[in-house]
Amino acid sequence: MNRLIEGGILIWLGLAILVAFLIAIPYFASDYWITLFILVFIFAVYASGWNLFSGLTGYTNFGLAWFIGVSGYVSSLLIADYGFFWLLAWPIGAVFTSIISIGVGHILLRIKGVYFAISMVALTEGTRELFGTKYFAPITHGGLGVPFVAGIQLPTLYWAILALAFCTVIICYKVFSSKYGLRLMTIREDEQGAETLGIHTTREKITAFILSAFLVGLAGSIHFTYQNYIDPSFAFNINLTLTPIVMTLFGGIGTVFGPLIGAILFTFIHEILWAEVTQLYMAVFGAILMGLILFFPQGLLGWMKEKGILPKNRKL
Amino acid sequence: MSQIGPILRIEEVVKKFGEVPALDHCSFDIERGSITGLIGPNGAGKTTLFNLITGVLQPDTGHVYFKGEDITGKKPHEIARKGVGRTYQIIRVFPGMTLLENLIVVGKGKESRVIERAMELLDLVKLVDKKEDYASELSFGQQKLLSLAQVLMLDAELILLDEPAAGINPTLQNELMTLIHQLNSQGKTFMIVEHDMNVIMSHCGHAIALNYGQKIAEGTCKEIQDNETLLEHYFGK
Repeated sequence: MNRLIEGGILIWLGLAILVAFLIAIPYFASDYWITLFILVFIFAVYASGWNLFSGLTGYTNFGLAWFIGVSGYVSSLLIADYGFFWLLAWPIGAVFTSIISIGVGHILLRIKGVYFAISMVALTEGTRELFGTKYFAPITHGGLGVPFVAGIQLPTLYWAILALAFCTVIICYKVFSSKYGLRLMTIREDEQGAETLGIHTTREKITAFILSAFLVGLAGSIHFTYQNYIDPSFAFNINLTLTPIVMTLFGGIGTVFGPLIGAILFTFIHEILWAEVTQLYMAVFGAILMGLILFFPQGLLGWMKEKGILPKNRKL
Repeated sequence: MSQIGPILRIEEVVKKFGEVPALDHCSFDIERGSITGLIGPNGAGKTTLFNLITGVLQPDTGHVYFKGEDITGKKPHEIARKGVGRTYQIIRVFPGMTLLENLIVVGKGKESRVIERAMELLDLVKLVDKKEDYASELSFGQQKLLSLAQVLMLDAELILLDEPAAGINPTLQNELMTLIHQLNSQGKTFMIVEHDMNVIMSHCGHAIALNYGQKIAEGTCKEIQDNETLLEHYFGK
């Protein structure tokens, strides 16, 4: 018992030092490193948000870019055209995305498996097309895109996304280790079986979908403020869906910390390869990815749990 | 809700798949505290009937009453929360979750009380040693017991069992049937679909026979056994 408590204290101490270090980064690191960490945290939220819904319920969401794009557009337009303060524009974008997700969820979450995945791709692509048309141009500026300056300093943006990533991981931890998380898992395991055991699967999966939309949307708003620019093919880009999914698979689908670890490893491997073997980097990256999927299908955390390096615990 | 009258009433229920009637004007009552066997050849409509009672399917016409309340058209999770539990012919426990999680997720109310109750039930079905194992690691028979424990976790008053004895060894079968009688004496009502007539004859007080979606006989097991029409349909005499 004493050793357990000591272990617990050590873990908390380690975490506190890590958090202090991350908060302090803008004071000593170069802009390159701050930028890199901003991207890591943005993608960590995308991946964790994707995992929160898809990792638990088994409904593979191939429309993550839709959350990102819709929220990104709302907040960017509010800042660019209506002069909103960024701190206000971001949550408005995320809340707006969550609200439409209620409707989208009610319609699309009736469809299962590959059909749900495809319908989310279709929704994303359709929205991308629509935002570029002349009909939407008065609001979205069409395909020309929206350049804007939010007047936020790089360190402030870094702290904002760090705070969001931190909250997202805490929320995931809470959900995964709660009865709500177990109920979501029953949807993945056997949805009809869960229904006949009294679990309101429709309500559970829609709330998870909305929560995922909110977190991912908020990160999307921050993403485009950081880029100072948004256009339809950029906002609803399929890579914004695929990269977080690959990161999650990398770190461990259905685990709390897998997406975060995946986002960190993925971004750094990406950067190193880009710098070292610029011409071959996609090929090498692809090979690493295939190797990981072949030999570690449950991802890094899943593999470590399987091998007994980490306890088989929903809290990891 | 009335405490008198049958716990379940099936009234003129019709369910067609295309043009084929799976249930054809089927009516009967299930008395509180009984163990009723539901028999009939393959395709007679037994599983369809379970699906209609639990809300997995909706009848074309007719009504289902549970404790006097019309539950026709209600959602499966609503009917389950009212106290109707079922197990499936194919096991439907949650394979990627531990035994304890399989039960906790069904429980309602205070966390500590739910865990306590889950442990009691695992003890009852003799699976408490495996509480941290994944359900996928259990044998077929053990999964059936876990499935029953889930239904008990739901605190169902009416429990529908789809072929509980099929595919499990005789020892486990006996344990399962003993458990059913024990629960029955505590007031739980059971409806059992079973192909093994010995199980029906030795464990059910009452039986209902279906064929081509129609009720062709109803009565005590003795009466059913002596019923000529039934013997013709079921045993091909």
